[in-house]
Amino acid sequence: MSPSKAASPTRSRKSAAPAGETLIRLEGVHKWFGHNHVLKGIDLEVQAGSVVVIIGPSGSGKSTLLRTMNMLEEPTEGKVFFNGVELTDIRTDLNKVRTDIGIVFQSFNLFPHKTAVGNITVALEKVLKLDGNEARKRALEQLEHVGLSEKAGAYPAQLSGGQQQRVAIARALAMRPKLMLFDEVTSALDPELVREVLDTMKELADEGMTMVIVTHEMGFAREVGSRLLFTDGGRIIEDGDPKKIFARPKDERTKDFLSHVL
Amino acid sequence: MAATVPELKRPERGFSWVVEQSTTAALAVLGLGAASLAVIILGSTAVLTSFGFIPVDNVIEGFQSSAMKAVLWFGVVLGIVAVAGGWGGFKSMPTKVAREEAIAGAVLGMLAVALGAFLVWFSGGEVDRFVFNYMRFEGTSPLIPHFFNGAKNTLVLAFSSEVLGIVLGLLLAVLALSKRAVVRAPARAYINFFRGTPLVWQISFIGVALPIGFGLDIGPYQAGIAALGLNAAAYSAEVFRAGIQSIERGQMEAARSLGMSYFQAMRYAIIPQGIRRVIPPLMNEFVILVKDTALILLLGLTSSQRDLMTVGSQAAANTFNYTFFLMTAAGYLVITLPLIRLVNSLEKRLRSGLVGIGA
Repeated sequence: MSPSKAASPTRSRKSAAPAGETLIRLEGVHKWFGHNHVLKGIDLEVQAGSVVVIIGPSGSGKSTLLRTMNMLEEPTEGKVFFNGVELTDIRTDLNKVRTDIGIVFQSFNLFPHKTAVGNITVALEKVLKLDGNEARKRALEQLEHVGLSEKAGAYPAQLSGGQQQRVAIARALAMRPKLMLFDEVTSALDPELVREVLDTMKELADEGMTMVIVTHEMGFAREVGSRLLFTDGGRIIEDGDPKKIFARPKDERTKDFLSHVL
Repeated sequence: MAATVPELKRPERGFSWVVEQSTTAALAVLGLGAASLAVIILGSTAVLTSFGFIPVDNVIEGFQSSAMKAVLWFGVVLGIVAVAGGWGGFKSMPTKVAREEAIAGAVLGMLAVALGAFLVWFSGGEVDRFVFNYMRFEGTSPLIPHFFNGAKNTLVLAFSSEVLGIVLGLLLAVLALSKRAVVRAPARAYINFFRGTPLVWQISFIGVALPIGFGLDIGPYQAGIAALGLNAAAYSAEVFRAGIQSIERGQMEAARSLGMSYFQAMRYAIIPQGIRRVIPPLMNEFVILVKDTALILLLGLTSSQRDLMTVGSQAAANTFNYTFFLMTAAGYLVITLPLIRLVNSLEKRLRSGLVGIGA
């Protein structure tokens, strides 16, 4: 890692996998919820440094697909690999792997009994075992990065939705992950608050973070994504360059979906 | 009403506004109602005080005096006038304030009539017998220190068993929430056993049967704390479980995805929130526990260990003066009423969402 990179807090990530190397691999992933077959055999590789955007109609399995990547949803069948480690192997220490995979949720899921800075430091201290001062320093750096230094002492209930979501992003980034997952992170926000969150994500993408993003923001998908997946009925229907897919969707279902949302 | 103001201010709703909205008739009804109740309560107290409370014959004389009758009847008549005025007039009051005043006056009048009528009936009947048994204050003052000691013991018993109950209850709640049946089952068995058998049985079993059966040398005081604590654990376990289950699933997911283990997530994310939510019901359990300490009277405490109930009933049994029973109730209320107030204000704060803020 070059010194110029280490200067920026988000860039001083631990041994980021070299760009182009496979970070996530899904092999024949199926997921059933009861009798509901949500993922129907997903094979997917995500390369380090890429920004993968997943779109698709609701119920198409895009969130479930994202959540299998850090094993919040355990595949009923199939294998998931992260950085060469098989997550679906029962012997894998998922707690350790998850420190390398950040996730941001639609409903923020900040801890309401902790301040913005406390939300960030708790995992730094209890999981990464940093001492209190170091954790606090890193948390404040991260809050500054998302433009919320002055809100460090505020509780989630005292923040707007957009600010809460940026704290959630800072909380995930403070772990210095190799991969960031975003699960419809702007869907619960008032329209005027969407922009600040998308800007934060765009900045992150520009810095070279590997990201997988489930979103309904089509403009953002086209602008920021380096690769677009369209899912429907538990399968990946289309996979390619976002600009090309938006301009000339190949599959009838993609055309139909895009004609409804654009 | 003001029509042309440059800036609209919130209309004033203070005392002067209330006065302005009132009518003479409404105020008269309200005043009569309040006066009737005051005459009954303060008047009868004044009559009794003028006769004196010791010896007990003074109290009896006070109740049977013509002054008492005059005061009570006067209050009842005032009350009837207030009821008649309020009942007949509240619908024709011109403002909402006046209507509320008329209704309040009528209700106060009803209370005065009911209380006055009861006292008239009471002081005309076998008042001497009742007063001799329940309002005989001579000879009670030497026992007051015992009551204080009893209150202290009641609090110590309730507090120690609550601490035991909370610690054990939280542990049971976590076990009862396990996804593994083999972990859940023993916790459920414990909870169901202690919720399914009477507390009286548990206290006698732990305080009497266990020491005999196992040859244990535990005092009744310790046995009482153990029994009440083990029982409280079962109830607080259910309270904690409900609190923990009420935390949104996303909280656990957020904690786990930061790399926390299940127990770290419980310890740092879920349980702190769950506990905040169940503070009012837990304090309610504590109020119940304060009263349940009365049951250890079964175990035969030594005089310095006695709780409020035991002190009261022993004193009543020794002196044949049941005034001590009323003093016991007063003792419990002195402890529980502030607690109940505290629970209510905490519930209010929780509803307004303020408990979420602040660690």
